[in-house]
Amino acid sequence: MPPKSDILQGTLDLLILRTLQRGPMHGWGISQRIQQLSEDVLQVNQGSLYPALHRLEQQGLVEAEWGSSENNRQAKFYQLTRDGRKHLADETRNWERISTAVARVIAG
Amino acid sequence: MLRRWRARLTSLFRRGRLERELDAELQFHIDMLAAQNVSQGMTPDEARRAALRAFGAVDMVKTDVRDAWMSRFFEVFAQDVRYGVRSLRRTPGFTLAVVGTMALGIGANSAVFSVVNGVLLRQLPYADGDRLAVMRQARPFAGIRDISFSALDIADYRRSRSLSDVVEYHNMWFILLGRNEPERVSTEVVSANFFDVLGIRPLYGRTFVASDDRPGAPAVLVLSHAYWQRSFGGDPTVVGRVFRMNDRPHTVIGVMPPMPDYPQAVDVYMPTAACPFRSSPHMANDRAMRMSGAIVRVRNDVDLRKAEADLALTAGSLVSAYPTKYPTDTMETRLTPLKDELTARARPTLLILLATTTFVLLIVCASIANLLVARIVGREREFALRAALGAGRARLIRQMLTESLLLAAAGGAAGLALADVSLDGLVSFAGRLTPRAAEATIDVRVLLFTLGLTIFTGLTFGIIPALGTRRDTASSLKDAGRSTERRHFVRSSLIVAQVAISFMLLIAAGLTLRSVFKLQELDPGFRVDNILTMRVALNFTKYQDAKIGQFWRTFEHGLVALPGVIDAAGGGTFPLNSTKLFNTTFVRENHPLAPGEIAPRVDVHVATPGYFRTIGQPLVEGRTFTDTDGVGDREVVVINQSMKRHFWPDVDPLGRRISGDDGKTWATIIGVVQDARQQLATAPADQVYVPLAENGPMLTMNWLVHTNLPPPVMERQIKALMRTIDPDQPVDEFRTMDEVRGESLQAPRTAATLLGIFALLALIITAAGLAGVIAYWVNQRTQEFGVRMALGAPRTGVVSLVLRQGVQFVVIGLAIGLAGALVLTRWIASLLFEVQPTDALTFLGVSAVMLTVAVLACLIPARRAAAVDPIVALRAL
Repeated sequence: MPPKSDILQGTLDLLILRTLQRGPMHGWGISQRIQQLSEDVLQVNQGSLYPALHRLEQQGLVEAEWGSSENNRQAKFYQLTRDGRKHLADETRNWERISTAVARVIAG
Repeated sequence: MLRRWRARLTSLFRRGRLERELDAELQFHIDMLAAQNVSQGMTPDEARRAALRAFGAVDMVKTDVRDAWMSRFFEVFAQDVRYGVRSLRRTPGFTLAVVGTMALGIGANSAVFSVVNGVLLRQLPYADGDRLAVMRQARPFAGIRDISFSALDIADYRRSRSLSDVVEYHNMWFILLGRNEPERVSTEVVSANFFDVLGIRPLYGRTFVASDDRPGAPAVLVLSHAYWQRSFGGDPTVVGRVFRMNDRPHTVIGVMPPMPDYPQAVDVYMPTAACPFRSSPHMANDRAMRMSGAIVRVRNDVDLRKAEADLALTAGSLVSAYPTKYPTDTMETRLTPLKDELTARARPTLLILLATTTFVLLIVCASIANLLVARIVGREREFALRAALGAGRARLIRQMLTESLLLAAAGGAAGLALADVSLDGLVSFAGRLTPRAAEATIDVRVLLFTLGLTIFTGLTFGIIPALGTRRDTASSLKDAGRSTERRHFVRSSLIVAQVAISFMLLIAAGLTLRSVFKLQELDPGFRVDNILTMRVALNFTKYQDAKIGQFWRTFEHGLVALPGVIDAAGGGTFPLNSTKLFNTTFVRENHPLAPGEIAPRVDVHVATPGYFRTIGQPLVEGRTFTDTDGVGDREVVVINQSMKRHFWPDVDPLGRRISGDDGKTWATIIGVVQDARQQLATAPADQVYVPLAENGPMLTMNWLVHTNLPPPVMERQIKALMRTIDPDQPVDEFRTMDEVRGESLQAPRTAATLLGIFALLALIITAAGLAGVIAYWVNQRTQEFGVRMALGAPRTGVVSLVLRQGVQFVVIGLAIGLAGALVLTRWIASLLFEVQPTDALTFLGVSAVMLTVAVLACLIPARRAAAVDPIVALRAL
């Protein structure tokens, strides 16, 4: 098994927003989803996940509501706001630009 | 939308709920981790432990989440502040108006509160001050509340189980020699424990110790702070200097720190052993020689009422043990907490002032709220634009609140500066009501009060306009400034409230001002102009017995002979002076008291023969004194009309005799004079005038000179005269009768002036607010006025339409204010003199003023309405 990587702060925000693009999700689900999509390469630490979620909520990029989870428990579901969607689009473009650039430099 | 706004507010104010939600959220995560572990084959217990391990330190996560909450809050706050400052700087006129109005409101409140705090709230500046009380002997059935204590009484009370200490004091005037001029000093003669019982430490040197108060001990003095500053320029080397007083050396051993002038303002303190009067065998050993007051410290485990009951036993045993020395009727011993003694007189006035400034602050809030509502109207498009760009209503409201708090902070700071500047004046006013006034400073409590007031004000005038904004901010892009009914209602209510409060304040000011006018116009019953008063206190050790009377005769003849003197006379005191008349019981000849009847009381006024002529107090019947009255055994008195009315209403009092010593000696009534007021606000009491020669030697006398010369010229002549009689004898306290009268009017006048200033402030703010609201109303109807005039309505019709709108507010406000005033003015009855709290004239006058000001305030926008050009207005449709 390759070593798991911790995620940089700004990147985590981007990943969270991207995950939420599919629809409302609680914190546990978000961490599972990121781990799953990255094929276990990216490990989301709870110590960064929840502060990040609350920060995004305070910034108005996501909003939260209590609802029933798949196993019928009360959980806090986060979803993108209009600002969040816009922010995600911007950041995604930005990320692509930078990662392409980094890839080029490394390949070069 | 509103629900979300409430949720945001919750996040600000209700951390508890937020914390519980966070707990639930993290718990859910841990549970899910555990469930995953179970599905991978662990037992539930193992799964839970593994989940907790995997999750890590829950508290650390929570701390980080809380940081996320806070940093965001401050970030937005800083943004709001920056934005607020920018937008306020764009409208300097508005900002200045708000900050200025608010500075007045906060300044008035903080200044008055500083005094309330220093006088009423703060602990006494004595050690454990709430155990200190003033002790008085009283004869309740004779209406006497204050019988002084003899030296032996004090010794008996010292034995009481309820009291841990008793301080004895009395006040004397002595002459201090050794400075450039002989100086008459007010001397508090106190038992040696005075400073220790009150817990006063000296600023320099030491205070008295028991050995200073032993008979024959070297005489020592402690200087009061005020006297030390005034006469020695605050020079600490005065400690150790020796002055001559009462023909013996007195050494200054210490200087007092600033303290309330209690029992009174004095220059020096002296132990009882050094007072020639108090230490004479006659005074020290006779129970009937009562001269002292007493301050006591009540034991910590005894409450005041219990102590009184205990002291009553002491009083009772004194009466039964020495029946000839004490009154035969009930004698009580009463305790008044020292704090009440110091502040009771100031309390009602200070509380009235505080209530007044609170009302002013409410008007200030209303008026600023009104200005802010008007400002929002002007910024409607700006807000709409920001809303369209994604700012929520909550954010906009927060922005408005931030601006309000910024304004409030600036206003509060300016107000504090204003309070600081005006405090001195207020303190000197309060000084007439309480010796504690000097303790009023801007301390931590005042700062907190101002801060609280500032936040309250900011929130109040910040939230009111916010309530007037529409829910749906976006729609205002389309029709900014049209549907403004709600806002108009808010503004109208504010202006009505302002009118109502201003009306009440004006009524209060009007009533007190009328009282002062009544006091000023009052005929006190004697001549006020062209009279110069002065005081002469003879040196106790130099002048005794016959020498005293001789000195006064020499002085009187000298005064009358001075060029420019029309008349001159002396008296124990004179009207409106702070020295009180001696009050005593008397009996009428052939009119024995019925069993159980209480002997009547009368004020005794000692006067030289020229007194009535000098002060211009007219004789009603009989004659006044001559130089031979009171010499020998034929005693005579003159009574005033009030006394005649009470005791000889239908018969001629001339020739009848009264006695002040239970019939041992009798004095014949030879004349009746018109009543003279001893205090302006008090009706003249029954008074009897006794010739100086008959009264016996008096060491301190007040002298009056009737003259047309300027007072300073007269004063120089009189001082020169005194130097020829006795160069060591001071004569001082020169004041014209007019000044004396002015001083007695000072306290009510200042109270009325302060109320007047506050009410005027309220009126101006309200008038400006009214003009603003009407101007806005006119703006909204420009087109309507255009149409009216185009259809032939005269311009005067438009003017009256606008005026009617304005007057409508005022009439509603007046009605509310009237009801409020009728309820509230009874609380200021203590400030009123011969004016009813519901005085119709004041109410009518104030209503008229209010209406006139309102009409004037509306006239400006009304004229603008009339100046509308119908063509322009119609084209704008």
